[in-house]
This record gives sequence, C-alpha cells and structure tokens, in this order.
Amino acid sequence: MHRWDWIVVAVAVIALVAWYLSYNAARLDRLHARVEGSLASLDAQIVRRAEVSLELANAQLLDPASSMLLAEAATTSLDTSDAAAVQSEVQEHGVDARRARVETELTHTLRATLTPSVIASVVAERGDARDELVRLREAGERVQLSRRFHNDAVHDVRRVRAKPVARLFRLAGHTSLPHLVEFEDEVPVDV
Amino acid sequence: MRIGLVSPYSFDVPGGVQLHVRDLAEYLIRQGHYVSVLAPADDDTPLPPYVVGAGKAVPVPYNGSVARLLFGPVTAARVGRWIEHGRFDVVHVHEPVSPSLSMLAMWACEGPLVATFHTSNVRSRVLHAARPLLQAGLEKIGGRIAVSAEARATVRTHLGGDAAVIPNGVYVDTFAQAAPRLRWQGIPQRPTVVFLGRIEEPRKGLPVLLEAMPRLLAARPGLRLLIAGPGDPREVLGPVDPAVAAACEFLGAVSEEDKARLLSSGDIYVAPNTGGESFGIILIEAMSSGAPVLASDLPAFSAVLDEGRTGALFRGGDAEDLANQLLALLNDPARRRHLRQVGDARAREFDWSRVAAQIVSVYETVIAANLPVPATVPAARRSSRRRRGGS
Repeated sequence: MHRWDWIVVAVAVIALVAWYLSYNAARLDRLHARVEGSLASLDAQIVRRAEVSLELANAQLLDPASSMLLAEAATTSLDTSDAAAVQSEVQEHGVDARRARVETELTHTLRATLTPSVIASVVAERGDARDELVRLREAGERVQLSRRFHNDAVHDVRRVRAKPVARLFRLAGHTSLPHLVEFEDEVPVDV
Repeated sequence: MRIGLVSPYSFDVPGGVQLHVRDLAEYLIRQGHYVSVLAPADDDTPLPPYVVGAGKAVPVPYNGSVARLLFGPVTAARVGRWIEHGRFDVVHVHEPVSPSLSMLAMWACEGPLVATFHTSNVRSRVLHAARPLLQAGLEKIGGRIAVSAEARATVRTHLGGDAAVIPNGVYVDTFAQAAPRLRWQGIPQRPTVVFLGRIEEPRKGLPVLLEAMPRLLAARPGLRLLIAGPGDPREVLGPVDPAVAAACEFLGAVSEEDKARLLSSGDIYVAPNTGGESFGIILIEAMSSGAPVLASDLPAFSAVLDEGRTGALFRGGDAEDLANQLLALLNDPARRRHLRQVGDARAREFDWSRVAAQIVSVYETVIAANLPVPATVPAARRSSRRRRGGS
C-alpha cells in the first residue's frame, strides 16, 4: 500500500510540473507571436510613413529645397525597408540599428521642413494641403503607436524569458531574443 | 469594424470612465462602426441599445472607498459569452486593473485587445501582491493607452512597459454652442464665479474656495459664487461668515445642458481640486464653453492648461493664492478675453473627432499586429506601393 501511495504522489508531482512547464511554454509562445505581429505592424507603418512623406514631397506644396530634402529622407527609408524585406531579416532581427537611424533622420527632416509656420502658410495657401498633412500626422502617430506597442511586447517576452524556469528548461526554444526598437518618431504636425 | 467596449463601472453612476466609454461608443457608432458595450447593470435598468448589461454591480470596499464592481464566476461566464457572440475585431477594456468586468474580459479575450488606463492613483502594494494574477491577462494587451502623462507614468512604474497617451474626449461643439443664461451672467459690479462638483467631497476643493471668499468679497463685494453639484449646502457652509453665505448660490445637481450653459455664463470657472484628478475633463469642458479657467496646479490640470498658457493656475490648497489670482483675472478683462480665445483652440485638441481618430489608429495597429505574419514579405508588393506613393 505504501508503495502505491508513493507512486500516486510521484505521478501527481510530475503532472503538476508538466502542467506548469506547458503553461509557461504556451504563454511564451503567445508572447512570441505578439512580438512577431507587432514587429510586422511596425515594419508596415514605417513603410507607410515614408510613402506618405514622399507623397508630400511630390505634392508641390513645399518649396523645392524642402521637397528635395524630404524626398531624399523618405526614399532612403523606403530603400532601407526594401532591403530589410528582401533579406527577410525583419522577422529574425527586428528593426535593426541602421533602419532605426534612417527613421530618426526622416523624423528630423520632417520636423525641420514642416515647422508650425510652414504648416500654417501651406494650409492657408492650398485647401487640399490639409488632407495631405493630416495623412502624414496619422502615419506618424501610427509609427509611434506600433513602436510603443512592439516595445511593450518585447518587454513582456524578455521578462518571461528571464524567469529561471524559462531558462532552465529552454522554453523559448530557438526563437531569438527580441530587441527594443529605439528611434525618434515624434513629428508634431499641428494642422 | 466590430468593436467591443468594456466598462468596469455602471452607467447609472456618474463617473469619468463611464462617460468616456459612452461618448466613445456613440462617436464610433456614428462613424459607422458596430459597437457593443459591456457594463454592469441591473436587468431592469433602461440601457442605451448598444449596452449589454452584465449583471448588478456589488458595493465592495476597494482603493480607499466603496466601489460598485462586478465579479464572480457567473459574471466571468457572461463576459466569455459576450466576447464569443460579439465576434469583435477588437476588444477595448477600460481600467484593466480594477477588479471588475474589464479584468474578466481580458481573461476571456483571445483576439486583439486594447486597454485604457484612466487612473493615476493606484495602490502599488495591491498591484504588486496581485501581479502574478494580473500578468497573464496584461500580457494579452496589444495596445495600452493612458489618458494622461500621469496615468502613463503609473503604467510604467507599476506594470513596466509603456503606453500611448491619448486624452479623454469632449464634444467641444456641444459646449461651444451652449447659450448663456442671464441670471448666471455677471455684470461688472457683480461678477460670477462658477464652481462645479460634488460639494461634500473635500478633494473637489470647495473648502479652499470658501476660505478665499472673505478676501474676494473684501475686494469685490458684489461677487457671486455659483456652486453646482450634488450635496447638502448646510454641511459645507457650516459656521461660515454670513456675508460669504449670502454670496453663495447653490444650484444643486445640474443637467449636462445646464452645466454647459452655466460654464458659458460665468466670468471665471474655478477648479480648486486638491488631488485625485488624473485628467481634468471639466477644464476642457469649461474651455469649450468659453469660460476663462482658474485651476489648482495639479500636474493633470497644468498639463491640460498647457502649463498656464491656456488658463490661470494657483498653488493647490492655497486660499490666499487662489484669491490673488482670481482677483487679478477679474480685474483684467483683456486677459480673460485672451484666455477665452486660446482656451477654445486648446479644447479643440481634445475634441472627439481628434481623440477617436487616435483611438481608431490604435485599434488598427493592434489588429494589424494580430494578423498572421507571412513567411517572407514579398519585396515586389512593397515596391509597387512605393511607386504609387511616389507618383
């Protein structure tokens, strides 16, 4: 009888451990899926912002010099995004330092060319400018949102992966550790 | 879009969170979205057609006062059914760390999930103790929103990670179009000062304002203080100076319409709150109605008033400073005119049209992040989009 008791206890303990491990593995799996999704979304929003910036540069709303600067920064962003897509590195390594730098530059160019006074004069001059600028503002806001949400997801994954149980049992498998994406994305477009 | 909104508090109790959920729901419906709101409600409470009652809220002690919350296994099952039947593209819960419907919805939700944090005064001990309970639910949130910089700071310290700041919305035009009422309007000898809020609640700051009254009356004997809000005047007035009592006019609880008309009639709106405010929607309502605002310098209020550029500030809790600032404003019609103007422009930034667009951006971002990721992003598709963008 004693032996059977022990076996029951052992089975119960094993079941509990197995449940705990699978619970954490499932949780981590869900978090990895979230990171993957938020990264894809961020990638798409970055492309979108560059597209809208380029559209604005070509809309003949700004002076030629400003347009040129904007077109340059936007094209660089699109080229860098395209390169990342071709190498399908986006999912592997996230938005890397080079892309982050390019996006910061685009942000700086947008800020420099679309000052409040420029915006005010452009809107006063051309009725259709407003829509264009609102589109840019929304594209910028979405980059901010998706970057923030992605970093949140990264934060959650990293926290769970730092737990001893995740490290000891390698619950993350071969999935690479996601990185925070840091670049300047604040573009105030006050229409 | 099919949107499920979850309010942790009943609609029949006044409160900022509920109002926000109601206004957001109505705005989104007018934009053509399908919206269902899950909120605590009795079975026999009349509800707007878009609200689904989840049962009767129970008064329980929580966070220093008695809150009416809804919880338990029966409720959890109801929340699960609501989510299942709703087939929502996105579920948006409000105040996810309050132990009520939102938490249950977070638990049940498997799809895109957005959460708005309203409060900045959470009790960190409770949060820390309950952390493991909350964590699994919080990890499902694809997009966090905080209504103010303060609320965002709370999220960052207590939960880690970050949140996008999207303020509460106001229907600016409703307030801007409110017609002033003659009996509430001031004249140069008898200017009117407006106070709004639950009068017995000390945090709303009426005692500070009453303390400033003798000083105000000494300088402007004709001044009238219009006090609107539920509560018993005798209790707050108590042993007050008869001259002060004579200058106070208690209007009781006022309707939404009268609130707007009162704000547009007064010469100055005063918000002497001493704490417990994480946003300050009332200041935006006052600016929308064209009232010059004088508010205590709580961080949330300073932020809404753009650090004093769109409204005057005084040192919170300091009756003397309140009196000085108020008199300075009363004696300076040009400054009041200026504040009316910049106040209106400032309020527009919080109009629902602007705020709801930002919230919809969050929905779309979170939904996009939930779509299955293709194995490789085809470069051809991108380039074609790019050409379109460049043409």
